Amino acid sequence: MALSRKSGAGLGVGPDDATQVSSDAPANEPSALVVNTTAVGQPIVVSNTLWQSVDPNAYQGNLEPEVTHLRELANDPSSRRDDARWSGALEVIPTKADYVLDLIRANSLWPLLSGLACCAMEMMSSATSRNDMDRWGMFPFRASPRQADVLIVAGTLTTKMAGPLVRLWEQMPEPKWCVAMGDCTCSGGRYKRSYSTVEGIDRVMPVDVYVPGCPPRPEGLIYGMMKLQQLVKDRRGHWPDRAIGPTVPADV
Amino acid sequence: MTAAPPRGHLHQEPPSDDPRVQLDEAAGVFEPVPPYPPRTEREAEFYTLGDGEMFINMGPQHPSTHGVLRIVLKLDGENVVDLDPVLGYLHRGVEKLCENADYHHSIAYLDPLEYIASLFCEWPGVLAFEKLLDVQVPRRAEYIRVLCTELNRILSHSMFIGWMALDLGGLTPILYGLIERDEIAEMLAALTGQRLLYNYLRIGGVNGDINHEFMSRLGDWMSRATTQIEANTTLLNENEIFVRRMRGLGKMDKETAFRMAMTGPNLRASGVPLDFRRAHPYSVFPELEFDIPTREEGDCLARYLVRIDEIKQSLRIIDQCIHNMPDGPVTAKLPRLLRPRPGRAYAAVEGPRGQYAAYVISDGTDQPFRMRIHDPSFVHLQAVGVLMPGHLIADAMAVMASLDPIMGGVDK
Amino acid sequence: MDAALKRRLEARFGDRLTAPVYQRHDETEIRIGPGDVPDVCRTLHDDADFRFILLADVAGVDTGEVMQVVYHLWSDTSPDWLRVVADGLSRDDPRVPSITFLWQGAEWMEREAYDMFGITFEGNRDLRRIYMPPDYQSFPLRKDFFLPDDAARSPGAGVRHMEQSHTPRNARPGETMRKVRA
Repeated sequence: MALSRKSGAGLGVGPDDATQVSSDAPANEPSALVVNTTAVGQPIVVSNTLWQSVDPNAYQGNLEPEVTHLRELANDPSSRRDDARWSGALEVIPTKADYVLDLIRANSLWPLLSGLACCAMEMMSSATSRNDMDRWGMFPFRASPRQADVLIVAGTLTTKMAGPLVRLWEQMPEPKWCVAMGDCTCSGGRYKRSYSTVEGIDRVMPVDVYVPGCPPRPEGLIYGMMKLQQLVKDRRGHWPDRAIGPTVPADV
Repeated sequence: MTAAPPRGHLHQEPPSDDPRVQLDEAAGVFEPVPPYPPRTEREAEFYTLGDGEMFINMGPQHPSTHGVLRIVLKLDGENVVDLDPVLGYLHRGVEKLCENADYHHSIAYLDPLEYIASLFCEWPGVLAFEKLLDVQVPRRAEYIRVLCTELNRILSHSMFIGWMALDLGGLTPILYGLIERDEIAEMLAALTGQRLLYNYLRIGGVNGDINHEFMSRLGDWMSRATTQIEANTTLLNENEIFVRRMRGLGKMDKETAFRMAMTGPNLRASGVPLDFRRAHPYSVFPELEFDIPTREEGDCLARYLVRIDEIKQSLRIIDQCIHNMPDGPVTAKLPRLLRPRPGRAYAAVEGPRGQYAAYVISDGTDQPFRMRIHDPSFVHLQAVGVLMPGHLIADAMAVMASLDPIMGGVDK
Repeated sequence: MDAALKRRLEARFGDRLTAPVYQRHDETEIRIGPGDVPDVCRTLHDDADFRFILLADVAGVDTGEVMQVVYHLWSDTSPDWLRVVADGLSRDDPRVPSITFLWQGAEWMEREAYDMFGITFEGNRDLRRIYMPPDYQSFPLRKDFFLPDDAARSPGAGVRHMEQSHTPRNARPGETMRKVRA
């Protein structure tokens, strides 16, 4: 369901919110992820200097990105579209098949049961009768990371738990996304000065959506998941260059 | 996780030539066995495998560990022979943070300890501060405290019923438990502003008076609470599979219960009618009429039934609070900067899991010198080492669920 | 304020108390030396006119000068909480006998006191760290362990094994630890 700019006005987000505009709806202005520089046609590449998988061949790191038979057009700079995607390193021209795949993925995001602390209660609450996340296909909270799409980190991340959590993240197969739920995962929250907490999970893993609150209301988490759906529809594919930290480029 | 952990004092396996295993070892496979020689007697005893035994790691991420708890199980087939719980995956350093914060601010740190029963975590801290400051709490505030904490108790027990069934494999009762929890959470959100970590109790009273929305929601809910709770619990009480699985499981007699320093429903299910609201009264409990449900058997079913009976007694207490609510202020007048006299104070309350307590040492400054928080889940979780061995894995999970631990409280 | 309890305690343990029995509100406090802990606790547990069979709490305290281990007990013979303070442990090598022979439930509470303060409980079969990782070097609740004050200088700055085992670099020079006669 595409949120047009007018209908999204009351959602409490600013007019510059990128996800209010769906780039797959026809005749929309380009996504706000476009940087207003002259180099609009250049792909925005976030190079991966911080995080490497153990196996250099994992995540197709050393393979050529998948391109369609329109490889010539892809490599031709004059044919670049205006809405430069920040995952332009793949230099994929979106096709209808990709669009459908991303739509499928967005409407069937399976979270991993990774509730660590109090926010897990609100996550459970948002998944059950009153605020039902099953309406968007997110009901099966998988116990195994191999079967999950989204890692909703709900609760304080401590230094002892950071290792297992990153291991869980590594075990999840691509495409995968990460939602930082609650203040403790966004920035450390009320435990920012403690000796044993990690100030925000974006110090150890890439994060796509931040849902602040202590704990965020179930409606808040659902809004965060809807934003994630929007991101899934916008991004189209996986990112071998994804780095630890927020997955939004620094220019935005 | 940079180098492969050295093979421990256990099986001395030759290095593998399977490239997948080599890759795993290079990545640092998460072995249940610690990569150093045993340091204590118990560690040596546990990490020595007998004939036909194996280790299974129920890692910190597991659907039935009530949070982030890691248990290394020593199994003989499917029987649990021994287990070693590893804690600390949620240790947030609350006691140290409280030492560096004001007295008023420390109350907010106490909330997320047991996030289901937040008000019971704040209450002993607040009581201890009031003892140090010799503050008299107004009667209306005391009644409001009892009211909202009893609601919190019902919320916690409703979730317990859900989790108990979930750990046995039943996926429906958790939904019913969460319906109850959502209703009470909305009620308390109308009163305190928050669904979960209320931060409502203040030194000398509570944060705000009762408002219309809270009363209307409360009245609405009370009118159908009894039937709703009956319906939720009948679903399980009359379920033959549930009852037969739980009966006789994890029996704990009186001596074991005292030896493991149990309090609360776990102790009352073993035949000891000890409830600190009657045995060591605080607040306005001497004026309220309620019974103390006790059971003799000491098994999982008894612990479950005791909590259901406690819900009914809590409804009774809430009813009396509503009808006998006095008028008056809801908080005592206190200066913003609190400097109690040097001294020590210990306060304990009876919560849904047992005794919640706080031991505060004051040195005359505006920050507590030592804020010791005693949490029942931490103490009760030791009982899994005593009760679980000898059962099958599935029953072992039921035993742990019946002790009702919350990892926020266990790890502080 | 149970005067009868105070009399019984003084009669029974008079020579081992290192301070007068202190009572305030609903708490009674006795102070003993660390070596007396097993005998005193056993007497309090077994004796017919004490019967302090419920162990409520075991806490470690760092007063800045000495360390203490504080036990809270409850009995149905008295309306007061009984606090037993094992006082006078040195800050360099605090040792106290364990009471796990009476209450097995004290095992983890003693492990926590060891983890947070470094107090060694002699006789505890399982004295290893419980909250911090097993290779952690510091004892966080000691008064000479300072909290990091800035996120950038904190342990969680993006390194895989995040642990700070020394005083952070931003600890203000000349900042002394707080000492208290508790």
